[in-house]
Amino acid sequence: MKDVTLGQYYPGESFTHKMDARAKLVLVIAFIVMVFLAKNFLSYIAVMLCVIGAVLVSRIPVSKMLKSIKAIIMILIFTGLLNLMFYNGETVYWSWWRFNVSLEGIIFSVKMVLRLVLLVMGTTLLTFTTTPTGITDGMESLMTPLKYIKVPVHDIAVIMSIALRFIPILSEEVDKIMMAQKARGASFDTGGLVSRAKALLPILIPLFVSAFRRADELAMALDARCYNATPNRTRYQVMKFGWRDLLGALGTAAFVVLVVALNNNFWGAYRAVESVWWLFAV
Amino acid sequence: MQIKIENLSYVYSPRTPFEKTALKDISFTVNEGDTMGIVGATGSGKSTLSRHLNALIRIQSGRIMLGDADLSQRKVDLKAVRKKVGMLFQFPEYQLFADTVRKDVAFGPMNFGINDAEASAAAAEALSLVGLDIAEVGDKSPFELSGGQMRRVAIAGVIASKPEVLVLDEPTAGLDPAGKREILELVKKLKSSFVKTVIIVSHNMDEIAEYCNRVAVLDEGRLIADTTPDGLFNHSDVVDNTELDYPHTVKIKRKLAKRGFVVDSPALNVEQLTEGILGRLAE
Repeated sequence: MKDVTLGQYYPGESFTHKMDARAKLVLVIAFIVMVFLAKNFLSYIAVMLCVIGAVLVSRIPVSKMLKSIKAIIMILIFTGLLNLMFYNGETVYWSWWRFNVSLEGIIFSVKMVLRLVLLVMGTTLLTFTTTPTGITDGMESLMTPLKYIKVPVHDIAVIMSIALRFIPILSEEVDKIMMAQKARGASFDTGGLVSRAKALLPILIPLFVSAFRRADELAMALDARCYNATPNRTRYQVMKFGWRDLLGALGTAAFVVLVVALNNNFWGAYRAVESVWWLFAV
Repeated sequence: MQIKIENLSYVYSPRTPFEKTALKDISFTVNEGDTMGIVGATGSGKSTLSRHLNALIRIQSGRIMLGDADLSQRKVDLKAVRKKVGMLFQFPEYQLFADTVRKDVAFGPMNFGINDAEASAAAAEALSLVGLDIAEVGDKSPFELSGGQMRRVAIAGVIASKPEVLVLDEPTAGLDPAGKREILELVKKLKSSFVKTVIIVSHNMDEIAEYCNRVAVLDEGRLIADTTPDGLFNHSDVVDNTELDYPHTVKIKRKLAKRGFVVDSPALNVEQLTEGILGRLAE
C-alpha cells in the first residue's frame, strides 16, 4: 500500500515546489492542451523535452517518475494493442480475422502510448511538487468566478481536501487491518481469483465501518467548531504570483508555440527540415 | 519457547525523504513463562518491534529466533509462526468483520487449517474464556455488541487459535478502569493455560509494574533498559531520563521517602505498598 505514488507529494525545495499552486494548475492544463496539440513526432519530441526539463527543474528523482508510469502500465499495453490491431491503415503488414497491423497503425499506437505517458508524467509532476492542500487551495482560488453563479466553491474545495486528507489515513487503516487479519492467519496472495476476492472481505468490511465512523466524527467536529459560520474565511498561507510563476508560464508558452510551429513545419519557413519530411508527415 | 532477538534494526521507507529509523541494534531474550513489558514514548519503536515477533514486518537486519524457527530466513513458515505467536492490536474491535460473532472468532482457527467442527469448538472455548456465552452472542452480529463486548470478541478471535506467545499492543487503551482490570486479569488467567509467554506493549506503568516480571525500555529505537519492574522503577534513573513515568504506587513511595518516611518495599502494586507502609509503622 505504501508504494502508491500516483498523487503523492514528494517533499522538496526546488523551483517547482516553490511555485504558486494556481500557476502550476493552469500550466498543467496548458500542458495537457499541448500534448493533445502535438501531431507529428517532432512536436512529440518538443513535448518530451518540456517534460524532461520540468522534471529536472523539480528535482524529482527519475525512478520516482518511472514508478508513476508503472502504475498505468496495463492501460498502456491495452491501448497500444487495441490501436495496433484495429487501426485501418493502408500499408498492411499482417492481418487475421478483423485484426490489421499496418504502418499507420503502428505509428498511431506509438503516438497514443507516448501521449498517455507524457500526460501522466506531466500531471504527476504537479502532485509530486504540490501538497494536496496547495492543490485544493489553488483550485478554490481558480474557481472563484463560479461563486457568482452560486456554485458552492468553498464547500467543493473542503470536500476535496477532506477526500485527499483521508487517502493516507485510510491507506494506513488498510495496513493495520491487513496486519491484524494476517496475524489471525489470513493470507491475501494465495489461491485463485475467487478465493483472493473473498479474502478481501475481512479487510473491506472493517474499512467501511471505520470510514463511516470517521466521517461521522469529522462531521461532528466540524459542527462543534462552527465550520462555515463565517462567509469569508482568511487563510494561513496567502498565495502569491511570483517571478517563478512568470518564468514557468513563459517557458510553457514557448513550448506550446514550438509544438504548434513544428506541427505546421514552421509554416514552410524552415526549408532544411524538408529533408526529414517524414518526421513531419507521420 | 524462547524468543531471542539479536541486533535487530529497522528503517521505514529507506532511501527516500520519508526515511525513518524505527529500531537500532536491539538485542534481548524473552524466556518461556515471562510476562514482558515493552515501554517507551510514542514513536520509540515499540509497535515496530512487536510486529516483528510474528513476522508481520519482515526483518531488514538482525535476527529473531522463535524457538528453533529463524524469522530472518526467507522461507519461514508464516502460518506456523503466526499460529504460535498471537497478536492483539490496539483497538482490536475495529477489525471485526464477519456477520456473526461465532464466525469472526473461528476465523483464526479456520485459517490455521482446523476443520469446521473443531474451529467452532475453539470459538466457544475462547468466548467462554473472555466471559461471553456463545449461546447468547454466537449468532449476533459483532456490530450489535457494546464496545467492551466487541473488544472481548476480538480478543477471543486471537486466543481461539491457542497461541503459545501472546503479544498485546496497548490492550487496555480506551477502556474504563473496570474494563482494564478485566482484560489484565484475563491475560493472567490465560497464562495459566495454553499461553506460555506474554509480551505487553503499554504506556501504562501501573499495568507494567503490577503484571510483568520483566520490562524492556525503548527510546528512539534503542533498547536502553532490559530489567525487572523493581529494577526499573526503584533502582535506576531511566524513568527520570526519558518521557516515562513512575507507577502511582511508586510515586507515593517516593513522595513519602522525600518526607523522611522510607518504605522498604518495591511498591509495584497497592498490596506491596500497603504492606510496606504498615511494616514501617509497626517498627
